[in-house]
Amino acid sequence: MKAKLTSSNRSRRQFLKALIVASFLPGAFVGAAHAQPVEINFWDMIWGPAEYAAVAQKLVDKFNASQNDIKVVYRSVPWDSWYQTYVTAIASGSAPDISTGGSFQAVQFYSMDEIYPVDELIEEMKKDGSLSDFSQSALDTVRYHDHYVALPWGNDIRAYLYRKDILAANGVAAPSTWEEFRAAAKKVTKNGVFGLVCSGDQNGFQLMVTAAVNNGGGLFDPDRKPAITGERAREALQFVSSLVKDGSVNPASAGYSYDDSAASFMRGESAFFLDNPNVTNSDNAPKDKIGILPPLKGPHGDLGTFNGANNIMVYKQSKHPKETLKFLRWWSENQLPLWTEGHAGNLPVRASLLKDPYFQNNPILKYTADNYIPIGKSLGAAASGTFPQLNVVDGDGFLNSLAQRIFQGEDPQGPAQDAQAYLKGIMSK
Amino acid sequence: MNSSITGGTRVWRARAKPLMTPELTTSAVLLFPSLLLLAVVIAYPIAQGFLYTFTDSSLLRPGSFVGMGNYGRLLQDRSFWHSLSFSAIFALSNVVGCYLLGLGLALMLQRDFPGRGLFRVLLLTPWIVPSLVAVVSWRWMVSDNGALANKIIAAFGGDPIYFLSNGNWTIVIVILIKIWVSFPFMMLSLLAALQAVDRSLYEAAEIDGATRWQAFMHVTMPEIRGVSIVLCILMTIWTVNDFDTPWLLARGGPANATENLVVHAYRYTFARNDVGMGATVSFVTLFILMALFLLVMRLTKGEHNAR
Repeated sequence: MKAKLTSSNRSRRQFLKALIVASFLPGAFVGAAHAQPVEINFWDMIWGPAEYAAVAQKLVDKFNASQNDIKVVYRSVPWDSWYQTYVTAIASGSAPDISTGGSFQAVQFYSMDEIYPVDELIEEMKKDGSLSDFSQSALDTVRYHDHYVALPWGNDIRAYLYRKDILAANGVAAPSTWEEFRAAAKKVTKNGVFGLVCSGDQNGFQLMVTAAVNNGGGLFDPDRKPAITGERAREALQFVSSLVKDGSVNPASAGYSYDDSAASFMRGESAFFLDNPNVTNSDNAPKDKIGILPPLKGPHGDLGTFNGANNIMVYKQSKHPKETLKFLRWWSENQLPLWTEGHAGNLPVRASLLKDPYFQNNPILKYTADNYIPIGKSLGAAASGTFPQLNVVDGDGFLNSLAQRIFQGEDPQGPAQDAQAYLKGIMSK
Repeated sequence: MNSSITGGTRVWRARAKPLMTPELTTSAVLLFPSLLLLAVVIAYPIAQGFLYTFTDSSLLRPGSFVGMGNYGRLLQDRSFWHSLSFSAIFALSNVVGCYLLGLGLALMLQRDFPGRGLFRVLLLTPWIVPSLVAVVSWRWMVSDNGALANKIIAAFGGDPIYFLSNGNWTIVIVILIKIWVSFPFMMLSLLAALQAVDRSLYEAAEIDGATRWQAFMHVTMPEIRGVSIVLCILMTIWTVNDFDTPWLLARGGPANATENLVVHAYRYTFARNDVGMGATVSFVTLFILMALFLLVMRLTKGEHNAR
């Protein structure tokens, strides 16, 4: 029953063969298209010195090498005009898939429906137990309306650093209360050396916020109502004002930028300086001459300091949220080199990373991790969680004005009332 | 009725005909692309910005119509009035300061003396230096008790002055920097105007027995008056719109002392995410400058006609 191979049969068979091959071709193309890895754009702020971005890029390369289906493209974003950078990208529909950024960027963009909440990642980590690496207070800094708007990764905490040489030369012991601090600052102020140096920019307002949360208060009450004129915040501002009136604060502080004030402290022109303790690892820091004070006890016995939590967020414009979340988890678990090699200026949020010898063998960083991080409070203190208005509070500059006026010697009552009225305006929107 | 319309059309055509020359048509066709481009890159953004003043737009959302609400809010905003008064002081001081300095140096450079060319080049330096470099350099010179200015004060036995920690002193420094940056332009333009003055006028004045001062007041000044007015208007606009100097020196501080209208608009837009108010501040600034410009033009035109 063999069919006779006629020319018409042959041509029919050839046609069928061609049809079969052709039917597989689109599949082959589709298969090839699927083999192309998904591209994820990661915008990372510059969190450390020059080497930071190179280390971060290396880390991204490591992730890419471990993946067949995801390719992350790293872009280092400078802090200058960072907010405009993100807003312009979002408005033009070219937002990254994932980014690090300002402390309250995620919650503000979330309120504008531009952030993809990371709830499913948090849930996944909760299930496998890895979420316990984060403290509840760290997770609270990214919780808004029962959603996690980002994943925390860094503690930008504030602690008082001091010059051992200046205190020793004046026979002053490291203070541990406000009263002792004021006395010490006054005693060392002479011959062009001041007790405290600060600046009229972010560091100035962080000093005010630190004093307020140190005294059990903050910019807000627990109901998120402005509380700059509240009893505890008022006492705190009065304390800073008393340092100014004693002449213990470098009079240049109101006009200083952060860099000016840090340089002044490093040159030994003031005994105390409020900053992220990681600054002691910078190249120009005289490491052997700098110590860290114990958390100061306020007049009511309270402890507390300002902690600006750094976080990493996923954007709603991302076409690949699942893959982005996968990268986010990997990044969060493998980011130790950002500190050990990239010398990032903050401290990790993950407890497991803080156990690394890099932190444990550095007395100042270890002390910070053990004593300051547990008492850190956000800009929203004494309220819990985060809220979008904090991004405006952080970037507006009215708190800088508050600090500048107090550094200029003005009685704190007037500046505090103005700041309170302004804050009410922000919160009413 | 019909005939009157036809008659009217005829009259209109008769009037319009001389205008519709082939040259004019060619010019219109050639100008059209440029006009279209100008409309797209200038008129559209201005119109769009003006519309924003009637909305509560943010950087990410177009917002809703609020009528004259933003203008009302602005009138009640204390910091707006402060920035308006600082802008006025800043502009007036700079215009007067750099005009007097520029004119003095232009009169000096008009004379022939050894090294005049080199001197002229050196005097142009502040204008050539980028504003970032200029302001940061000034900042170093006045920032604290170890800065150059305070070392000089200490050499004369004075106490240090914390220029950038005191609002009044910071205003003085902002004005000084602006004068330092602006005077070369004023000097160059006035020098060109001085060189264009007819020499025979000075000879006539000399024959009439005029002193140098009289010749300056009655010959030089009237001759450079037109250029001076244009320069002062330009300098006023540039100073009111100056963002770099107050921002780079003190971020508009301390305690908003050097916050001018442009910095105020910037704060509204980018720090408070309030594009509607930012646009309103910008347009109020524009209206003020336009009113000032029209006033000056009307006054000078009136004087010109009276002559």
